[in-house]
Amino acid sequence: MRATRRLTVAAIAATTALTLSACLANPNEGGNQGEGTDGPDDPIVIGVSLPLTGDFAEPGKGVQRGYEAWAKHVNENGGLLGRQVELIIVDDQSNADRVASDYERLINQDGVDLVFGPFSTRLVVPAAQVAQDYGFLFVEPAGAAAEVFEQGFGNLFYAAPAIADDHYNHLTEYILALPEDELPESIAVASMDDPFAQGTAYGLRDALADEGIEVVVDEVYPPNTTDFSGIAAKIADSDADLLIVGSQYQDGVNLIVALQQQGYQPQMAAVSGAPTNAEFPAAIGDKTEGIIAPTGYTPSAPYPSNQEFVDFYTAEHDAPPAEDEANAWTTGQVVAAAVEAVGCADPSPECQEQLVDWLHENEVETVVGPLSWDADGRPQSAHLIQQYVDGEIKIVLPDDVKEADIIHPKPEW
Amino acid sequence: MTGALFAQSLVLGVLLGGLYALLAAGLTLYFGVMRVVMIAHSAFLILAAYLAWYFHETSGLDPLLSLVITVPLFFVVGYGMQRFLVSRLRPISLTTMSVLLTFAIALTIEGLLGFVWTGTQRRVQLGYSGTSIEVAGVSIAVVKLIAFALAAISLGALFVILRKTSFGRALRATTQHPEAARLVGIDTDRVAGLGFGLGLATAAIGGTALALDYTIYPSLHWHWIGPLMAIIVVGGLGSIPGAAIAALLLGVAASLLQVPLGTTWAQTVFYLALFVTLMIRPQGFFGGRLAQRF
Repeated sequence: MRATRRLTVAAIAATTALTLSACLANPNEGGNQGEGTDGPDDPIVIGVSLPLTGDFAEPGKGVQRGYEAWAKHVNENGGLLGRQVELIIVDDQSNADRVASDYERLINQDGVDLVFGPFSTRLVVPAAQVAQDYGFLFVEPAGAAAEVFEQGFGNLFYAAPAIADDHYNHLTEYILALPEDELPESIAVASMDDPFAQGTAYGLRDALADEGIEVVVDEVYPPNTTDFSGIAAKIADSDADLLIVGSQYQDGVNLIVALQQQGYQPQMAAVSGAPTNAEFPAAIGDKTEGIIAPTGYTPSAPYPSNQEFVDFYTAEHDAPPAEDEANAWTTGQVVAAAVEAVGCADPSPECQEQLVDWLHENEVETVVGPLSWDADGRPQSAHLIQQYVDGEIKIVLPDDVKEADIIHPKPEW
Repeated sequence: MTGALFAQSLVLGVLLGGLYALLAAGLTLYFGVMRVVMIAHSAFLILAAYLAWYFHETSGLDPLLSLVITVPLFFVVGYGMQRFLVSRLRPISLTTMSVLLTFAIALTIEGLLGFVWTGTQRRVQLGYSGTSIEVAGVSIAVVKLIAFALAAISLGALFVILRKTSFGRALRATTQHPEAARLVGIDTDRVAGLGFGLGLATAAIGGTALALDYTIYPSLHWHWIGPLMAIIVVGGLGSIPGAAIAALLLGVAASLLQVPLGTTWAQTVFYLALFVTLMIRPQGFFGGRLAQRF
């Protein structure tokens, strides 16, 4: 009996507290509502929810730095449509339930004019659903997994060069154009059991297997694998011409060292993940020469707006931008291009629909190259292909932006 | 499976098994002398690996030289840990409470490693990292050979200490029957502390061997503790020869099974062996007299 009474008291107390906090919170948060946001002197308010704490805090903060740098750059250069840009960034704690309610609140209560996407597939999908319900344009900086584009969102655009399966497209073209006697005859594949790593590696594997190149080793390893000598032994035994590795970081490094220890010498080594990491050359030493990796962004990419971005960002942060910052900046560029072209930036369904339609029909110049999208929001480009040439990682494909000629066959490591 | 691949996998399995043997020896020693389940053993292993890496980064010298510092340091830390933490646990619940205590120590070490050296993954880069010796078509990596040699020497030394010295006899007496050991005049508390220090010193050696050939990061120890626990149960809790034999057998089995089954399934061999042991011979296959009593 006593326990029941105590429960009742607790329930009443909790309800009261909730009601009170709701009453207290509302007037403050609704502050922007009802104010005219369309006037020529009012700022364009852009709402974003980002994982600033929790699992995705690291990349989330990178995206935040990119968005803030972009807004500052726009404001210093006359704003959008002559209006200043103001960002409202809230923390979703890497929580998929929270991110949806964040966007509800940004759109309904804060009355934002535009929204930008959060970080990562798990948060992009619920956020995009809310944006779709309110008819908002939804450009997102991260969320490359296939499922993002299979939900039937008509308002979503991924602001990066390519989805995982297409990362190696430039390399595939290069390999298939090789003269008959230089074509690799066999492929060895090893990938972490991870949708992103596998998507990238299998994109190249399948494209080449379709052309009749034989896959002689096809290994998948769990993320907690630390000893790679067994996989290396299999690959070395097959003596495949082409090595494809889908890695994150430590797995790629450990596998490469294990392969070197067993004297395996492929003609070409395509490794996604590890090689673009700044720690990689220090870990592998002087044996990096000729290793190939796809990359979504590099500060040295020669696209017109990229130099401006790198200079501006480096002056602000004393360090060059990485991929998360670049994709955030790209998101800003994509939305800005649509806003400037259509000439409106307000939450009305008419304006948002025009922005969406414009992006479906046009190509946008960005820091990661020219972008255009299919109906589901998949970007239609491919990643740059980099290779270690003379000890430094350089762009080797496609030809029009290369910093060095691709080395083939790979020198011995 | 071709003959060459079989031979290569067999050699790799023996090399890996040697490292497992050294690491498991320490773990089984704690249980033997103290009935302590030392979850933090692999965390100390990673700590030693970090110290070896840091030593190499700052001094530019070979990471193996860091053993001169880490082995005595870990011995003292182990002794202190037993005397001031583990011995304060109530004897009646020692084994279960030691899991909690050492779990906390493992988390603390992991957190401190991340705090001091960040979560960035580190690797010792040596001139001989990728070099190997070829014997009859089988490549033997120099770093793996060094790790194996370190393990063999340490295990040999451990064996000599336990069999031939009076301290070793006192330690074994404490393991077999603490009360009787006290009756014949052995200071069992001190012996247990020294035994703990000895166990942790093996972690220093194992960690340095690990740093030679693996990329390290603070949470790496969770990937090691599972297989090691399985090994000491299969070998018989408290039995160092049992742990060494089980480590070699399971290392070779994992390496050979990896060829037909793939990495994911090959890893399960440790746990399958654990289940089979618990079902058929819960006291372990090689040691066992001790474990029977618990």
